[in-house]
Amino acid sequence: MKITQRKKLIIIQAVLFVFAFVIAFMPSTATRNREVNRRVIVEIVGIDGTEEGVELTAQYEMPTESEGSTSKDEITVKAKTVPEAAEMLNTSLGRRAELGHCSMVIMGEGALPEHISALITATDITADVYLAAAKEKASELVSKLTEFMKSTGATDADFIAYGAKKSHIATNTLLGFLSDLGSKSETAFAPVVEMIEADKGSGGSGSGGGGQSGSSGSESGGGSGGDSGGGGGDTGMKVEKLALYGKDGRVGLLDSTAARGVAWASSPVGNGVIASGDVTGRLIKKKSRIEVDGKNKAATVKIKASVDTHSIQDIESGETDLKKVFADEIKRELESGYNDALELGKDPMFILREMYRYTPDAVEDSSISDIKVRFSVDVTVK
Amino acid sequence: MNNNEKPSTVSADTSKEVKQASSKQLIAIIFILALATKMFLQPLFLIKSAGRDAYIALAIDGTFDLIVLVITLFAMKLSPNRDFFELTRCVFGKVGSRIIVGFFGLYLFFKLNVAVSETVAFYSKNILTDLDTTLLILILLLFLVGVALHSLRAMTRLNELLTPVIVICLVLLITIVAATGFDLANIFPTMRHPREFGITLSRHMTWLGDFSPLLLFLGRTEMKKSTLPLSVTAGALGTAVSVFFSIVMCAAFGNITSMVDASTNLSSILQYSLGNVYGRIDLVSEILWSVASFIQNALFFYCTVRCFEYVIGKPFHLATSLGVSVLLFTSLTVMFKDPEILNAVIVSEITSGLVASFAVTMSVIALVCALIIKRRETKGGQNQDKSAKALRSSE
Repeated sequence: MKITQRKKLIIIQAVLFVFAFVIAFMPSTATRNREVNRRVIVEIVGIDGTEEGVELTAQYEMPTESEGSTSKDEITVKAKTVPEAAEMLNTSLGRRAELGHCSMVIMGEGALPEHISALITATDITADVYLAAAKEKASELVSKLTEFMKSTGATDADFIAYGAKKSHIATNTLLGFLSDLGSKSETAFAPVVEMIEADKGSGGSGSGGGGQSGSSGSESGGGSGGDSGGGGGDTGMKVEKLALYGKDGRVGLLDSTAARGVAWASSPVGNGVIASGDVTGRLIKKKSRIEVDGKNKAATVKIKASVDTHSIQDIESGETDLKKVFADEIKRELESGYNDALELGKDPMFILREMYRYTPDAVEDSSISDIKVRFSVDVTVK
Repeated sequence: MNNNEKPSTVSADTSKEVKQASSKQLIAIIFILALATKMFLQPLFLIKSAGRDAYIALAIDGTFDLIVLVITLFAMKLSPNRDFFELTRCVFGKVGSRIIVGFFGLYLFFKLNVAVSETVAFYSKNILTDLDTTLLILILLLFLVGVALHSLRAMTRLNELLTPVIVICLVLLITIVAATGFDLANIFPTMRHPREFGITLSRHMTWLGDFSPLLLFLGRTEMKKSTLPLSVTAGALGTAVSVFFSIVMCAAFGNITSMVDASTNLSSILQYSLGNVYGRIDLVSEILWSVASFIQNALFFYCTVRCFEYVIGKPFHLATSLGVSVLLFTSLTVMFKDPEILNAVIVSEITSGLVASFAVTMSVIALVCALIIKRRETKGGQNQDKSAKALRSSE
């Protein structure tokens, strides 16, 4: 019997179908959840610089044999380099540590920018992962976060993402951090995550952590706070301060007012709460830009903000010039951010970077202290 | 073996050959070719060398390729029924034609090496990290041989099927970039180091010639009135998209050019200013790039095989495909086993100059041949008319 071209095609298609069917129902394919069970999903990585090299702390979810259940825990490994430490995570856990789903990296006090570079280039951690800073050791913060998350049932590190979208805090990603540091400003920042301890009674009982120290009553806690109490005395998290970095590592911390000032100029987020004295408003829109004058080495940081005072009604006197009140408050925060950073020799508002972009010759050999900076704030009250 | 696709030496009358690609399919394939390597891979090399000015270099390269595309399309228009092999045979004779096609085949084979090695490097470093690279090359070769056994029609149909996926991915990625307030101003200041920029241009022309496989579409494609302008538009649109993504990459890596590497999950930079709130949405860009690069690899492989077949003079698709596969496998696993060697070859001025010359020369040859034959046919027609008139008047 002569096999025609068409019949040949049908035979090939049938063979392919059978092959696909066999592959799909092979015993190893049918029990492929074992492949998942052989891995651990790393959610948060803490990184500390040590004298010997680096200390990596991973908060992970370990899938277990029983349907749908996982266990959350953390592990710390020490090595000379970041790739070595990442490799050690696999051996220490006895399973492959999946870093591709990591949602946050926390830098400890001694962590260096090159550790972040190594995390991106030598591991599966992606460049768009959020970066945060621990006041001191990242390993301790990751440990506290793990306990807190276990006690509250929080499943991942969404709180920083919440903060990035809804609160007036300056967030950053790994690549953003390195890019900022590589710019003419040679400055980068990461928000400092702290735990709210119950016994100190400094707030934290409501969602968002409720503005602990800022005179402006910031909503910087980010939504993961709670009143559940557990977690070794921690009742929530707060993100108020900002860690500033230079090429050699951390240079200092900005307090909550200065951190808010930096967020006005450097964060694209236009939400959050703004307060001055007994007047409170909700920021509904914000635009910021830096106008540069290379010839005179001068720059103006311009902020345009729309504030809604109806959703959070706290106005006692109708006589109050709300526009001026809010504008003064924003300006105070901006100046605080600029001046505090200047004392550390840093430029987290990236004024120098902006000048270099448009007038490179004028600022080729300049530093931020050579630039005359002024702030202009325009507020619209709704 | 497809009877519609015998090389010209064995085809009795190519003018009767059934058109293997429709006008729409040609436009779709031009769009994909404009994207394939230019979108993610070429910017990597350019950024390493020219820093934040890489997108300007890419725009210049893209314009060069568009000129080559226009030349090729004009050749297609002038020669609607004769394929590239027949055109060269009619003008240069059998031997001359085989020499030209042989060189064209070698040029395509080199381009194939570059494209396949980059695809393999991307997969082995990012996605199939546990799979042995040799095995990965073998799997890819299996796919390429499968494509080469089929006709150009199958190739263009496959592309037509996948193009909507690519367009959807593109729209999604561009939306992400637009919606996240990407700091595109980081591409400034421009041209701070003109000397490095010049070196970059002269050393990265190996990436030119993405439209060269279209020469094998000559005489096999349905050419409507609107085909030429729409094809140029598709090429320009694809190039514009590539330049846009290279601007995004320059903005992301402009301050940290040393960080650019294929092992970096470079696609995630598209949402780095957004943060990873939507999980691994960046995988969309990997799908997009994968599909486009597979199409490009397949087309280069197909054209290389057909050129070698023509030189040999026998339409043995399977044997030639296997032969090219063995050569490709050997060069990738022996000669270019160390990616640094291949990179050194790619960015050398000699290779760069040769590739650019071939890209233009081959299209110009096709156009000149098409013009000569058109002129001959017109003259022949006029002579026939004259003889007919003379015959009628003598009667």
